[in-house]
Amino acid sequence: MFRYTLHRLLAAVPTLLAVLTVIFLIIRVVPGDPAIAILGDNASQQVIDAFRDRLGLNDPLWVQYGRFLAEIAQGDLGSSMVSGRTVWQEVGAVLPYTIDLTAASILIGILLGIPLGVLAAVHRNGWIDYVTRLVSLLGLSFPAFFTAILLILVFSIELRWFPVISRADMADPADRLYNLVLPALSLGLIMTAYVTRAARSSMLEVLGEDYVRTARAKGVPPRVVVLHHALRNALIPIVTVIGLYLGLLIGNSVLTEIVFNRPGLGKLIVTSLNQRDYAMLQGLMVVYACFIVVVNLLTDLTYGLLDPRVKHQ
Amino acid sequence: MTAPTLDTAPDTGRGTGAPRFLADLLRVFNANKLSWLGLVLFVGLCLAAVFAPLLATHDPIDQSILYRLRPPSDSHWLGTDSYGRDVFSRILYGARISLIIGLASIALGLVVGGALGILAGYRGGWVDQAIMRVMDVLLSFPTLIMGLLVVAMLGASMLNLIIAIAFTVVPKFARIARAPTIAVRERDYIEACRALGYSDLRIMVVHILPNVLGEILVLASLWTATAIRIEASLSFIGLGVAPPTPTWGGMIREGFEYILDAPWLSIYPGLAVLLLVFSLNLLGDGLRDAIDPKLRE
Amino acid sequence: MPSTPNSASDPAPDNAGVSDTVLSVRGLTTAFNRRGHFHAAVRHVGFDLQRNETLCLVGESGCGKSVTALSLMRLLPGRRQCRVSGSAWFDGQDLLALSEPAMTRLRGARLSMIFQEPMTSLNPVLPIGAQVGEPLVFHRGLSRQEAEREALRLLDLVKIPDAARRLRQFPHQFSGGMRQRVMIAMALACRPDILFADEPTTALDVTIQAQVLALLNDLRQERNLSLVLITHDLGVVASVADRVAVMYAGEIVEQAPADRLFARPSHPYTEALLRSIPRSDRDVGELRAISGQVPPIHRMPAGCRYAPRCPVAEAACLDATPALAPLPGDPAHAVRCRVRNPAAASEGRIGHA
Repeated sequence: MFRYTLHRLLAAVPTLLAVLTVIFLIIRVVPGDPAIAILGDNASQQVIDAFRDRLGLNDPLWVQYGRFLAEIAQGDLGSSMVSGRTVWQEVGAVLPYTIDLTAASILIGILLGIPLGVLAAVHRNGWIDYVTRLVSLLGLSFPAFFTAILLILVFSIELRWFPVISRADMADPADRLYNLVLPALSLGLIMTAYVTRAARSSMLEVLGEDYVRTARAKGVPPRVVVLHHALRNALIPIVTVIGLYLGLLIGNSVLTEIVFNRPGLGKLIVTSLNQRDYAMLQGLMVVYACFIVVVNLLTDLTYGLLDPRVKHQ
Repeated sequence: MTAPTLDTAPDTGRGTGAPRFLADLLRVFNANKLSWLGLVLFVGLCLAAVFAPLLATHDPIDQSILYRLRPPSDSHWLGTDSYGRDVFSRILYGARISLIIGLASIALGLVVGGALGILAGYRGGWVDQAIMRVMDVLLSFPTLIMGLLVVAMLGASMLNLIIAIAFTVVPKFARIARAPTIAVRERDYIEACRALGYSDLRIMVVHILPNVLGEILVLASLWTATAIRIEASLSFIGLGVAPPTPTWGGMIREGFEYILDAPWLSIYPGLAVLLLVFSLNLLGDGLRDAIDPKLRE
Repeated sequence: MPSTPNSASDPAPDNAGVSDTVLSVRGLTTAFNRRGHFHAAVRHVGFDLQRNETLCLVGESGCGKSVTALSLMRLLPGRRQCRVSGSAWFDGQDLLALSEPAMTRLRGARLSMIFQEPMTSLNPVLPIGAQVGEPLVFHRGLSRQEAEREALRLLDLVKIPDAARRLRQFPHQFSGGMRQRVMIAMALACRPDILFADEPTTALDVTIQAQVLALLNDLRQERNLSLVLITHDLGVVASVADRVAVMYAGEIVEQAPADRLFARPSHPYTEALLRSIPRSDRDVGELRAISGQVPPIHRMPAGCRYAPRCPVAEAACLDATPALAPLPGDPAHAVRCRVRNPAAASEGRIGHA
């Protein structure tokens, strides 16, 4: 397991490097002069040049690239061109919100999606299966902002159970949780749809395996066959799929944060886009990239824990 | 040990030809009634978009201060927005934007991604390595974040939205096209083509493309659903086709400000997005069953 | 559609007295759903299994041997895809009529089964010890720890070296032959009365095949077990079978004690099978494959199912289904062929599945 972990860690390095390169290129190569964007069209050429000089934009591309990598290697993600605060400060301020939301949505997706998927697979072609398939297909057709709006309409405006704006006092656990419910549901329900489908197809595959027949042949009760013998195996691909959908979740959290006016990485990115704060944007993309590389790594490691064939490599 | 083992292969000869594919398609469509529902809904919405000028009850950008924020009524079936514009008519015209951007971006992504995937699979070696490495990296970004970034950099216009969304699906198409290309490449007749001196381009277009197309088209229908959802999301964030052109995402964005007084402003366009995306998902789900050999029994 | 369970036209030869019969199968018919229509993959199969006996079910792939065993173990999919009729009396109860929970209590306890593919038949994420001991947990109420201790003894029984260490390993760390030994240990954990072995050696190397077969045979004698061995390999049959039932296209076409079957093969299909075994005392030129194929279950010929491939078929064979009837003067030897056995002509035109 240790060697496997080390191997995965090392494999993540070139991926990270490649991702960083792509971020660098997208931000430099795509048209639109950040200096003009920041200073406005009326700024004189001298001011613009001085500004570009200060940001190092006049250097050759490869010098900028080298500096970019060197700074990241030192943990320096730059600072906002608007607020002047470092990317770390800005990210640090909203990170707890983002982590809460992501973790809660994943949790909802797993806790609802896996049982539903298993149930549908066990009753293949029965009415439970049809309803589950139809509802999950509907669920993944929902744009994240629309689930959020519907939840607000029902639970905040009609029933008045929850606040319209999710601005939690992070120091107060009760308030933190209270403000998390609706945003987490809005993403968690979509996540549930994806996990249900993944769990169903993975279970269907596993239930047809020879070792499931072996378990039945030795008189293992049906419940144990499904939950102990089949699900243990089905979880392996499900984990991979959940890892993949985490990216989707992170993308969609932008929408949820806008609707609930909740602080988070997504809102930060939209704000810096609107302000054309390209230094901030670059830093945020790097944070996203690291986030995703870490998620992939965690997925691989969970995989290793679940599958003895990987563990004993 | 050589007792008779004349294995009797089950008679499910799996041709890959077009008639076989169509027959499968029809059978799965009939078995999976929901894909018919998807097809009917989708065609209906397309017709509504095409004939929007005939169906619309009002001019979609005609403002009327007197009729602001009216709830649904006989004259305004789905109510009016904060400028007094008719929501029903705006939804009809909005369908055009969603469909054009959804279909065009997928078509663009399909052509570029499919070409890259076939090239990677056919050539192999460092070409394959280089292309697929880049694709993997692009794929690791959340689609919405990637789309957001590209639109923000290019500026929000219909063409740029198409490019941005196409950009996010190119790696997906490349992956899908590559795998069957590798399988086809190894077959004897491709070898024969090469021996006959056919150019690589001709082999790729005439002999490999048809083999790869079925699967690509099926996934295209599913990803069109995603593309439409992303367009709506970008418009909702404020990176859509500029107002006053009606877009569903934009309507929801504007309507959301009046959520307390005029919830219909966000609900109806939201339902429109949901319906269109759902119809494509139903359709694509059925189509995928049709091409998945595991599900063909 | 499957015909009535008690089709009297399929008498199973019974030569060893009623008292020692552990399983009595009559009129077993299993039909599968193919595009909305049910087609019988196994039809009117009947046999008696004696205590401490090895019965071999022989035939080409696809002739219904495995389906027969799976039907009796009730391991086939539900009624939507598959329908089983007939009766199978075991210890005073009809296996085919038992409730699912009652059947679960019998499986692995009194009836066991091992399969052709040892590579895929063990659960890849569970340690071997837990898998081998599991039947004891559910049938004998042992704790997981006690079951694991018992599993150690079972691995010794099937001669797996270094069992204590092997217990904690996973299937991928075992070779094919070792996995099949594990399967045998698991199947025998609760000392069952009957073991169905579905081509247990087919997937193994030739040298390993003989070892596993010998192990099965030894354990059968030691444990007073009845073995239903499914195989297409007549070499295996010759070395272990007490009695043989030859199956073709879902039906038993010939059934007899092993020595008599080899001495006097009577059904043309059995003859063809025997001719296809390479033997040192014959020229390779005489080795013959059987021409043609087993018909698919949805396109069965109307009369004798072997007639289209049969060298001795007559016109009458094509329109009347022969019965499985004892040979005149040899009640233990039954043959379903109107040409070779006049008594078989009696069934007439019934039971078109």
